[in-house]
Amino acid sequence: MGKKYLRMTLNERIQHINLAINFTILVITGFALKYPEAFWVSPITDVPLGMTFRGFLHRLSGVATVTLGGYHLLYLAFTARGRQIVIDMIPTWKDVQDLWETLKNNLFINRPAKVIKMGRFNFREKFEYFGLIWGTIVMTVTGFILWFKEEWLLFFPMWTFDVARAIHFYEAVLATLTIIVWHFYSVIFNPDVYPMNWAWINGHLTEHEMELEHGLELEKIKASQEKELKEFSEAGPSGGGRVYPSHPGGRERFSIKDLYGAIQDINESVKNWKGM
Amino acid sequence: MMWKVRKIGAIVLGFLALLFLYEVMGEGAWADSSKCLTCHRDENLSKKDKQGNKISLFVSEAELKKSVHGGIACTDCHTRILDDSHAKKGVKEADRKVDCGTCHERSEKLFKTSVHSIKVHIACKECHGSHSIKPLSDPKSTTFRTNLIQTCGACHPEESKQFADSVHGVGLSRGRPNHPTCTTCHGTHGIKPRSDPESAVHERKIAITTCPQCHAAEQITREYRFTTQPVKSYYDSFHGLSYRGGDTFSANCASCHGVHDIRPSSDPKSMVHKDNLQKTCGTCHPKASVNFARGKIHTLADIKGVDIGEKVVGWIRIIYIILIVTVIGGMTFFNFTDWLRKTIDRRP
Repeated sequence: MGKKYLRMTLNERIQHINLAINFTILVITGFALKYPEAFWVSPITDVPLGMTFRGFLHRLSGVATVTLGGYHLLYLAFTARGRQIVIDMIPTWKDVQDLWETLKNNLFINRPAKVIKMGRFNFREKFEYFGLIWGTIVMTVTGFILWFKEEWLLFFPMWTFDVARAIHFYEAVLATLTIIVWHFYSVIFNPDVYPMNWAWINGHLTEHEMELEHGLELEKIKASQEKELKEFSEAGPSGGGRVYPSHPGGRERFSIKDLYGAIQDINESVKNWKGM
Repeated sequence: MMWKVRKIGAIVLGFLALLFLYEVMGEGAWADSSKCLTCHRDENLSKKDKQGNKISLFVSEAELKKSVHGGIACTDCHTRILDDSHAKKGVKEADRKVDCGTCHERSEKLFKTSVHSIKVHIACKECHGSHSIKPLSDPKSTTFRTNLIQTCGACHPEESKQFADSVHGVGLSRGRPNHPTCTTCHGTHGIKPRSDPESAVHERKIAITTCPQCHAAEQITREYRFTTQPVKSYYDSFHGLSYRGGDTFSANCASCHGVHDIRPSSDPKSMVHKDNLQKTCGTCHPKASVNFARGKIHTLADIKGVDIGEKVVGWIRIIYIILIVTVIGGMTFFNFTDWLRKTIDRRP
């Protein structure tokens, strides 16, 4: 107890915040077009040129998201940590089993409940990550068709444009609902992490959180640490994450001081940043 | 019993007395007109205004009697003529103006706000005529629906000509009861300039009220065998959605179909004829290619649709709705069981 396990580096946290902001802007400005008379759209429609600015902002955020996607691909390809993420993200049969066993646990079919040990990325996270990639590809392709309609219609008939519009809309509904239902449950409403999983701000998980959601990974890290201790290899890479010294207070539950800790953490990471 | 009969008799008697009184008063009012007409029935009666133009002062008695105002006296309208100077054949400036607002209060009030009153200072008689005024329903009235092309055309000849050749104007001249005339879009007494947000043809109203008042009306569309699909599909297209949100750069009905010279798409002169479509789209999309002119524009997603786009989009909608319900429903179910289990485990 008391140990912190690195979950997201500063780079990854910035990527995540970037995506979160752009995704929110895209959702608001996008559905504002589809439902122009909805009450929450009035801040856009009530100002002069609001609708024009909405379109501009939507495209700007779209470009930002696509750029972020490109950056993420480079990050995965050209950093050691990124390559490890790709390897850990590969879906396996065990993920399906984990999902199935979790469901059986939840429905009291497994009595007593099985302890499920999951890897660095559990089935929840893998599912969401691939959903995100799929959604980004679909939205990028259809979005650019809608943006560059004149160029698109040089080669394709008019009805393909309508198809792109329909897909762009329904995929947006799917993506938004997925974030609300799946992601927000995982990181907010899940009783294990409520009120929030702070990893997206302070970058680490507690040992308890690791145990609950990434048991296998925790064992792996501990095994490699033991090995390191035996072999006295200093500052060697340890599995998929770094080990932080334990918190002096040994606290685990969230307190307001942790927010200060989060800022301190960011400062620390900036200081220690040695490039990608 | 007796008392009741007497009461009814009294009521009948009172009613008859009122009727008699009314008739006598009406008869009295009649008398004046004949007095004026002793002079004004002369066809050569005229005067000269300040510029020296000859102005006829002839009033046709027959026309006046046939008009909707045939029952009222000259002095009811020409209220300020009964002065000494008129009796002495003098000229009095104020006498020339007739104040219709004395009776037609609402119309007058509305007209005072219109561009016709504020900018060009025309009076009621310019549209309605003077002594031969007919009710709106009379086909001889200047303001009867088919006659408005001439009435408005007196000052707006270009627009009237364009309109007369348009699909609306042709139908109107054939006497179709629901075909639009000038006032259908522009309004009547309170006509405002197009730039005024209150105007019935302001760009923010074109696609909300002006055209949809007929083209989204089930009864009219059924009677004339066209569909409300163009309006519905426009509202759901990018143009329509952005327009509904207040975007004035977005195309409205008139941007593509024209204003007074709206023609059916089969007419080679139409803005939406397939040969002209590329040019029409090109107004806003300068790089518009031939594909802009191909295929249906006003499409509604429907798997049984005629157009391939309608069919494909219809299927996409069905597939996506199934996908969304399955995926999101599955997630909700899974998360709910997860939450329930964890909550149960936490029971004190």
